[in-house]
Amino acid sequence: MNKAERAIDELRGIDKLTSINSPMHRLSPLSKMALTIIYIITTVSFHKYDLWGIIPMVLFPIIGYQFSLIPVSTCFKKLRIVMPLVCCVGLLNPFFDKAVITYIGTVGVSGGVISMVTLMLKGVFCLMASFLLVATTTAEEICAALNKIHCPKILTSLFLLTVRYISVLLEEVANMTDAYHLRAPGQKGIHISAWGSFLGQLILRSMDRAQALYESMLLRGFNGVIDYPEKENKNKYSWVVAIICIVLIIFTRYFNIPAYLGSLAL
Amino acid sequence: MIECVNLTSKYADGTVVLHDLSFKVEAGEQVGLIGANGAGKSTLLKSMLGLIETEGVISFDGKELCKKNLADIRKMVGYVLQDSDNQMFMPKVIDDMVFGPVNYGISRADAEKKAEETLEKLGIAGLKNKQNHKLSGGEKRMAAVATILTMEPEIMLLDEPSAALDPHNRRNLINILNVIPVTKIIASHDLDMVLETCNRVILINDGKIVADGKATDILSDKTLLEENGLELPLCMAGVPAFLKKED
Ligand SMILES: Nc1ncnc2c1ncn2[C@@H]1O[C@H](COP(=O)(O)OP(=O)(O)OP(=O)(O)O)[C@@H](O)[C@H]1O
Ligand SMILES: [Mg+2]
Repeated sequence: MNKAERAIDELRGIDKLTSINSPMHRLSPLSKMALTIIYIITTVSFHKYDLWGIIPMVLFPIIGYQFSLIPVSTCFKKLRIVMPLVCCVGLLNPFFDKAVITYIGTVGVSGGVISMVTLMLKGVFCLMASFLLVATTTAEEICAALNKIHCPKILTSLFLLTVRYISVLLEEVANMTDAYHLRAPGQKGIHISAWGSFLGQLILRSMDRAQALYESMLLRGFNGVIDYPEKENKNKYSWVVAIICIVLIIFTRYFNIPAYLGSLAL
Repeated sequence: MIECVNLTSKYADGTVVLHDLSFKVEAGEQVGLIGANGAGKSTLLKSMLGLIETEGVISFDGKELCKKNLADIRKMVGYVLQDSDNQMFMPKVIDDMVFGPVNYGISRADAEKKAEETLEKLGIAGLKNKQNHKLSGGEKRMAAVATILTMEPEIMLLDEPSAALDPHNRRNLINILNVIPVTKIIASHDLDMVLETCNRVILINDGKIVADGKATDILSDKTLLEENGLELPLCMAGVPAFLKKED
């Protein structure tokens, strides 16, 4: 399997996750989207030194994964490339912000370190939540939800086609790399002298494929917008669940749970 | 009824492929379209659906192919592409099969029921929930034919429907094509299949019609076929020389 094929497989792997039947998958797409957006906004809004306050926010994605029957580790596996990048975001903070603001035992901890960790957690939590949405909702469902709130159909169709064409492009890359390596055995990667023609061919071929696929859609009645059927088996109580979660999220934002637990212990 | 008058087709780069083709296909007829590689078979089928710029007149049941009628004609005509990879664009076989019917206003549940029946008829019920990109070449071919059959078109244009099929699936396909009572044009190099499914054959070479007549007449005319880059169908060629006993 070459790299492009592996990438296709990963994409289809996510597609496959969306076909699991779990309480999380059964929530209506719109409520899931609203929930995710509010979760992300809330998480990002924590103050940069509010490390203890933000920690309980991890509970929401973790519980979400439990209900979706998808192991949390899947998220980290699939996002293994992005996660470290997100973690790099605050890496310079400790060098700029050296004022000690708290002590662990007798060791002083600078504001920079705290804000770095907070920033990393924010990134990781948001990625976890977004992946949960993507893994439990198909692209079609997301588009249907967007259509429902009167997002222009042309935009949602464009979004869906883009998602589809990623795999078309990858398939062409996979076919071409295979063909290349069959006639250039023992070579690692594609030789630089072939890059120009390889890329040029790739563009022509994916444009041809895209055109052919588009024609094939036209021949079957596609008229520029894709209409998605409402899935009937979506949970009627989605919005109740979503609103309860939203209330809990906002509660966690304004009520410092670790501090409260700490004060109980004293 | 399909009617083409003085059809000339031109690709976007200016290549003129079909020259002044005229023919007529009556309702219910099954016509084989044969010719060497590059003769213009696929081009003809694509032109009939308005995918290529054409001059001349094409009409289906009296409806002329033009911008205004395009949607109606495409609804009426099912087209199986030569390359199944280009035909299937949804993640799963079943999604692809319901795509057309749903676009034409059939409810998803009904479309799915129809799709299941079609798969059953073609003997490929097992493919229903498979991912398109994980199908074998022949499976993809069968699935592509199935997507078009689900749309229950009044006219079918098939480009190499039997290519890549194993003998069993090929047989299934032939039987089904013979049972469905719609007008069909079948472009193929599988001359034995053409002989079994079509009563009439149009032979084209270099974008021109060379012969148009009864299938049995044209497909048994060794000289005519060989002049146009083809050979007798296997069932007519008899036992090949190298297998004949030397006694
Ligand atoms: N997109 C295109 N642009 C320009 N010329 C094309 C294009 N596609 C095909 N042609 C040319 O048109 C001619 C007829 O092609 P067509 O695909 O119709 O042949 P065919 O009879 O279907 O052949 P085959 O049996 O190989 O499928 C060929 O000479 C080909 O080079
Ligand atoms: Mg062809």
